[in-house]
Amino acid sequence: MKKQATYILTLIFLLSVFPVLAQFNPKTICRVENGKIYFRIDLNWTKAQQKELIRLFDLDTIVVQGVYNGKENITVKGTSWQVVKLNDHLVELSKLLAAMPVRAPSSNDIIMLDDRWLNAEGAAERVSVTFGVNRFTRYSVFQYSRGIARFFLPGNLNAKQVFLSGSFNAWSTTNLKMNPCDSGWTISLKLLPGKYSYKYIIDGKWTPDPYNRLKESDTYDSYNSVLYCYNYLFRLKGYSSAHKVILAGSFNNWNEKELKMIPLAGGWALSLYLREGTYIYKYIVDDAWITDPQNELKRPDGKGNFNSVMGIGDSLIFRLNGFLSAKKVILSGNFNNWNEAELEMEKTAQGWQLWYVLGPGNYEYKFIVDGKWMTDPANPNSTGEGEYQNSVLAHKANHVFTLNKYPQANKVIVTGSFNGWNKSNFKMVKKGETWTFPIYLIPGKYSYKFIVDDEWILDPANELWETNEYGTGNSVLWVEPR
Amino acid sequence: MGMEIIFRTSLTFVENSGMKIPLQGNRLTFFPGAILVAVFMLLAPAGQRAEKVPDNPCFIITSTLSFPGISFRTGGAMGELEMVIIPLKRVGNLFMIEAKIDDETGNFLFDTGASQLVLNTTYFRKYITIDETEARGVTGLTGSIRRTTVKRMQVAGLIYNNITADVTELGHIENRRGVKVLGLFGLSMLKGLEMVIDLKNNELRLYRLDKDGNRIGAHREEFRADITAKVVEYHNVLFMKARIGGKELDFCLDTGAESNVLNCYAPRKVMSTVTILRRSDMMGVGTDKAEVLFGDLNDFNVGEHPIPGMQAIIASLNALATSYGYPIDGMLGYDFFSKGKVCINLVKNELKISLNKAGKN
Repeated sequence: MKKQATYILTLIFLLSVFPVLAQFNPKTICRVENGKIYFRIDLNWTKAQQKELIRLFDLDTIVVQGVYNGKENITVKGTSWQVVKLNDHLVELSKLLAAMPVRAPSSNDIIMLDDRWLNAEGAAERVSVTFGVNRFTRYSVFQYSRGIARFFLPGNLNAKQVFLSGSFNAWSTTNLKMNPCDSGWTISLKLLPGKYSYKYIIDGKWTPDPYNRLKESDTYDSYNSVLYCYNYLFRLKGYSSAHKVILAGSFNNWNEKELKMIPLAGGWALSLYLREGTYIYKYIVDDAWITDPQNELKRPDGKGNFNSVMGIGDSLIFRLNGFLSAKKVILSGNFNNWNEAELEMEKTAQGWQLWYVLGPGNYEYKFIVDGKWMTDPANPNSTGEGEYQNSVLAHKANHVFTLNKYPQANKVIVTGSFNGWNKSNFKMVKKGETWTFPIYLIPGKYSYKFIVDDEWILDPANELWETNEYGTGNSVLWVEPR
Repeated sequence: MGMEIIFRTSLTFVENSGMKIPLQGNRLTFFPGAILVAVFMLLAPAGQRAEKVPDNPCFIITSTLSFPGISFRTGGAMGELEMVIIPLKRVGNLFMIEAKIDDETGNFLFDTGASQLVLNTTYFRKYITIDETEARGVTGLTGSIRRTTVKRMQVAGLIYNNITADVTELGHIENRRGVKVLGLFGLSMLKGLEMVIDLKNNELRLYRLDKDGNRIGAHREEFRADITAKVVEYHNVLFMKARIGGKELDFCLDTGAESNVLNCYAPRKVMSTVTILRRSDMMGVGTDKAEVLFGDLNDFNVGEHPIPGMQAIIASLNALATSYGYPIDGMLGYDFFSKGKVCINLVKNELKISLNKAGKN
């Protein structure tokens, strides 16, 4: 009974408040008539409703302020608006329609929607995942060993042609033709460890893998199947009497539930994909956190405890020659959030060094020699100026910008869509007669130019270019998936 | 509104096997550029060259250098298949077809709004120009349209020989959608065929037709249509009538439009049924400024059949109408084609729609 009374009271409250608030129905605000555009605006709208009006119809704030200040004519940026009062609280704001668009579409034009208007919600982001585990419902449909992935699609024996299409072949619909076998269709291909999305094309029809529970929206009505090619096996010996063992680490934000280890004879194990890099981790054995007893490499967590450390991928050796009288040298970079204490370098006969594992990418770093920050004197590649100058390392660079002419130039910059057309980055380095700059670029399209002593030029060695908005051109580079 | 329209070549007809085919080249083309800005790049894998193209092509489409139409060569091993399903790759609200052109394999935008094959200058700069046309837009911007010849193009089981193609800049589509676009697959590439556009399943089915426009062989079974309408083909562009607010309007059918478009100068009776949901002051390509409106078409009908849930950009299409030489009140793009399976017979000039059933996948 008490509850009911509350409901009734709430209802009465709402009913009493409602008439005070002005109606705000976006569908009744705007109309177009005889080349003019009209907005019906209620002077009782709240500030929030006015803001929504501005957002929906991209109106100038000054125009809307003018309406609420009772103006009859408002001119903003060369456009004149008229306001006509309809009654004590309703006004109509109008203006001539601008020729829309200035350049009329021609028949070869592609009419493209702004992404805000495109109904593909949460348009796919290019997120490179740090780890992943497969969820196939049938063991035989996917196998991965020694860099070879074998796909098996059972059944569909009446199909004429089956293709495999996915992120590994840039979603080509024609270049991975599957082979018929007695019970279905197979194909084997070389894949690097990583995450891939895919579909089958059975006689022209897109079909997700029916035996794969791991899927993600293709941002439209359907979904793509997702799989991981593994590159790491976690093993914990013993603890056979434990009920459960969880793996947690920096790769999954120390999630305490996600990665359940599988009991095996003599211990526990878990295979997964991990992106190349350095990680810290622990096992949780029946709620007790332990470091990996089989791994001697541990680093302090800064709170008096230790974490196990593992790396996947190629190790890099950072070296700083000289500075032998220094007490402490630290390596700090964007790969460890510019931590000023974590990575202490080791003293050698020639100077200082540190082993560190990094995945492919562009990294910035500096050395801290007894508290003083410095760039790497042995690395000619850098970005920024003065105290913001950092050494730049393109680890596993997949592209080298090269300019063969202009050996007499003083300064050559390569700039493009990959760095927001920054005019001072990146400085190319002259080796002999050739200017170069190595870089790691994720797959996709890039446009770029060289700036040779303040003169912008196309890449003379690249025949792909397109016209830009200045009527000149930009060189075009496509980086294909590995 | 002042505007300047230049026709460089005039309409000509050539005789070929009893058919009269208008020569292209009379169409006014503005300097290419999409009218709306799409800033965001969708996840789209970069194009990788494909090495293999499916064997067993089902039919050959030939045309000659001076004759941009197509004709069938039947018989032999090539003539055995009567239908192909081409998987479409969706990018935003646009759809790509993978094709091999001479030695290059890549994505072509399926664009019934383009009259013929169009190649992207970036990748086909070296192709020999056989004709060049000046084009001028309303803002006075000029650009040139080159025309070239492609020896061989292969799409699923279709083979085209010696086709003419326009060469123009298409980099803006790539930059907005992050996908490599070799060109546009325009309407003349589908001449003489029946196509079933099934955007829900991302597929395009092409049927071979006999001289009366009927499907041949095993695929005779009729397309189950909820709506049937006449289409008119004019200069390799398809037009169809639809009714809004009791007024009959002419729309062109354009799979290369991510949205429907309605002319803002449509009669008052039409506009009064339109609910405007959004407006935007947008920058177009370069420095063009555009005022763009987007709304619901509350009363859209094909014949007697209402089609609910249609939305459209409201923009001025007067210049486009002049360029087509055909009165045009709007364009039917993604919003229209996604309402169901759309079957267009290019011999009978007939359009049929099998509407998506609510709740049915």
